[in-house]
Amino acid sequence: MAQARGASGDKRKWIIGIGAVVVVAALVIGGVIWTISERDKTEGQIIDPGKTTSALAGNVTQKRDGVVVTVGKAGAKASIDVYADFLCPICGVFEKQYKGQIEQAINDGKLQVRYHMVPLLNQRSSPPGYSLDSANAALAAADAGKFLQFHDALFASQPEEGKRGYDKAQLIELGKNVGITDPAFAQTVNAGTYEQQLNTAFQQIENDPKLAQDFGGGQTGFGTPTVTANGSIVSWQDPNWLTKVTG
Amino acid sequence: MVRPSQPVLNTVGTLARLGLAAVWLVSGALKLADPGQTLIAVQAYEVLPDALENVVAIALPLVELVLGLLLLAGLATRWAAAAALGLLVVLIAGIAQSWARGLSIDCGCFGGGGHVAAGQTEYPQEILRDTGFALLAVWLVVRPRTWLSLDGWLARGRGNSGEPGHDYSGIAEGN
Repeated sequence: MAQARGASGDKRKWIIGIGAVVVVAALVIGGVIWTISERDKTEGQIIDPGKTTSALAGNVTQKRDGVVVTVGKAGAKASIDVYADFLCPICGVFEKQYKGQIEQAINDGKLQVRYHMVPLLNQRSSPPGYSLDSANAALAAADAGKFLQFHDALFASQPEEGKRGYDKAQLIELGKNVGITDPAFAQTVNAGTYEQQLNTAFQQIENDPKLAQDFGGGQTGFGTPTVTANGSIVSWQDPNWLTKVTG
Repeated sequence: MVRPSQPVLNTVGTLARLGLAAVWLVSGALKLADPGQTLIAVQAYEVLPDALENVVAIALPLVELVLGLLLLAGLATRWAAAAALGLLVVLIAGIAQSWARGLSIDCGCFGGGGHVAAGQTEYPQEILRDTGFALLAVWLVVRPRTWLSLDGWLARGRGNSGEPGHDYSGIAEGN
């Protein structure tokens, strides 16, 4: 009797053991595959150029000066500086919330915007480098007169922090899809032509006391997005900030 | 001195086991659900080379889930508890080194994580909480016998008499 129970106990032990191994193996293998595919989900994607709503008036100029792109009509009275990183989630929120108003004000000839691309989160994509690649590509797009279209498309399909961004081939593809035909664009993206200047500018921006915000707890520093008007930081959480600037 | 009866100790052990299982299942699921954030949380500790950060960010949520499942089922309880204890010691060490080096991070223990403002760190609370979890694991390493466990069910099948036996050393070995 004890013998029989022992035998059935051993059998149960085997069944449970094998069952446990199968469950654990399935969980681990499935988990690894899912995690990697979730992280790399931008792979092979075509960044949607159609999400750009910027129907800019004909006499709006987009001019690159160093690593700053100025967008607006000549003679616009008000101007703002926007410091953002294409990977920064709050920058994506800012864009979503105010892009329409900003571009309206640009078209109305009331506002000039100086866009500063800041590679603050360059280590935060996997693999790292998306912040700098995208900033460099946006400057190349500015050279082709398509900065805002390119910029808006990247924010509309923004990759997530800690995950894969878009590679250079995808950025070049987007450039073509927003209407860039100059072959210099692809060369500039591939060569990383503006990376050095972007990094230098980033260092200056980071150390600029006028751009330092109070993060609470005695901690101050530069963060993205930062918006300034007339040399001081604008609190863009105030929904009427733009009308206050443009008057 | 009155020794608590075996059923009472079994009940305490069961609560420790299920509590610890819940901790791992929740923390593992939250980490698994957001792989990007989990990688950022691991990077924020600034202790591992890049390649290893990737491996840890992928493996840690799964290890936590496996431990949670084993504890929930009460299978190989002593081993699972020992592994849980080891993992908790590593995690506490990670938090402590961040604190000692003056980093400003959220431990990312239950999802989230990454850098936070200097005033928003919660190192003492995080370490205290993990130490509490470690005590649950210690109990189960010392006395893995609990109610409603596969270990107990297997041990009964092995002929250790129908009732949860008085000698539970054998059950502890069950794996």
